[in-house]
Amino acid sequence: MRKVFALMLVLTLCSCAFADGEKLKSPSQLKTERLAAQRGTVGQFIAEDLLGDKKAELLTTYEKYVDAVAALRQEKIRAVIMDEMPAKRFVNEIDGLAIMDEALTEESYAIGFKKGNAELVGQVNKILAEMKADGTLDAILKKYIDGDYSSIKPEDIDFNKGAEGGKLYVGTEAGFAPYELKVGSGFIGIDVEMCANIAKKLGKELVIINMNFDALPTAVSTGKVDMICAGITVTDERKENMDFSDNYVTGAKQVALVRADDYEK
Amino acid sequence: MTTRSKSYPGAGRGDILLWLVGAFLLYLLWESGFFTEAAWSDFNRRFYQNFVKDDRYMMLVDGLKSTIFMTAGATVIGVIVGLILSVIRVAHKGGLHIPVLNKLAETYITVLRGTPAMVQLLIWNFTIFASARDLNTQYIAILAFGLNSGAYVAEIFRGGIESIDPGQMEAARSLGLTYWSSMRHVILPQALRNVVPMLFNEFIALLKETSIAGYIGIDDLTRAGQNIQALTLEHSQPLVMVAIIYLVIVLLLTRFVRKLEQWLSRGRR
Repeated sequence: MRKVFALMLVLTLCSCAFADGEKLKSPSQLKTERLAAQRGTVGQFIAEDLLGDKKAELLTTYEKYVDAVAALRQEKIRAVIMDEMPAKRFVNEIDGLAIMDEALTEESYAIGFKKGNAELVGQVNKILAEMKADGTLDAILKKYIDGDYSSIKPEDIDFNKGAEGGKLYVGTEAGFAPYELKVGSGFIGIDVEMCANIAKKLGKELVIINMNFDALPTAVSTGKVDMICAGITVTDERKENMDFSDNYVTGAKQVALVRADDYEK
Repeated sequence: MTTRSKSYPGAGRGDILLWLVGAFLLYLLWESGFFTEAAWSDFNRRFYQNFVKDDRYMMLVDGLKSTIFMTAGATVIGVIVGLILSVIRVAHKGGLHIPVLNKLAETYITVLRGTPAMVQLLIWNFTIFASARDLNTQYIAILAFGLNSGAYVAEIFRGGIESIDPGQMEAARSLGLTYWSSMRHVILPQALRNVVPMLFNEFIALLKETSIAGYIGIDDLTRAGQNIQALTLEHSQPLVMVAIIYLVIVLLLTRFVRKLEQWLSRGRR
């Protein structure tokens, strides 16, 4: 019992120290702070690198971004390490949040495949190259990043229903706007439209399977889905377990989302 | 509200407790400034965004349909599997010599009760049905939840059968019925009546358990709430709404079980 009290005392002291601490200025300060990330994302890997030995104690991983941001707003943690695009959306929609100016890393997104599925990787790479050359990909990116995508309806996207070439199963985590988002009973987003294009060129119907981000690698390696497309960052570690297409987004930043009143530019 | 809480099962002392909890929550809300006009209009705005705009409540409705579909399907499988397992175990104990079947049933119950439903669900989806892609994932979930529930239902049934006086079996046998027909015509009808309320409780537990189906990509009620969260970036309202929907359904079912219990015990008064 005494131990419990001692622990509670220490925790209280810690939280006092935590509350009185100076404001955040640069990401280098995050090395000794409580951080959060979405489970299985690159944000988690970056946070682990930042924290080093202290990751077990200071890092919390959540299943969804909204959970991590809720923890941030409740001052349970000091920063969420996440992709810039969804972070921007949080800043726009919720008062009192800010993104640290200095990005942590710059990444590229690619589509993930089962290790050794060279045939499909080759086909998709060829289609991606075509989409890059004829401006289709740029048009999709522009539509979502510069424009207001809240008016886009899932019905507007051609999933090539009833295609003769069968179905193309794509795994994603539809909580990552503007890349993928569930609206009503359908999906919209950059990845969704891009995959719809790929499916069309393969002569297949696109079927989106919405699952948790950390389940995606399992889904693709067990063959549950043909490919996974969820703003997935290419990392060496991931390359050991799956194959990647060519990049379709480069310069995607990983940033620290913090409370505005806890951040000094 | 008064009429409803009066007929709430276990009315009486529990009722006062419920009012106290309610009053305390209201007090907390009052303290946090919930009843100021600004907070109220903010609440309304968020409510509109979460549920009204673009018919977002339909996501919850669809999720609820999926939850109920899975629960109903899993219950049917659970009851069938549970009945078979329990009869095997009771029959073995009651003198029929079926050691292999009995061992199988025992192992089944041990394994499925001894591992978390969540892990079972993931194994069913990603290992056993790894290559079944055109199969609706909901059917995999129904199978996983149903077989899991079967192990629990088996124990419920066994309790029900064992609660019947052994004299009933002896009497039936002495009248010349075989073991199986005494079981079918004499023991099971009585046992069933005893266990029906418990079966419904299992159904209610199952309803809540299906909330993990989101892990294999099913947009059940819980997941529908999370999908709304991802749309509006709002944390609390969708979750609280989901909780309220579960609670209302569970309360309705509980009430129904109460009524059913009364109805079933009519003949014995």
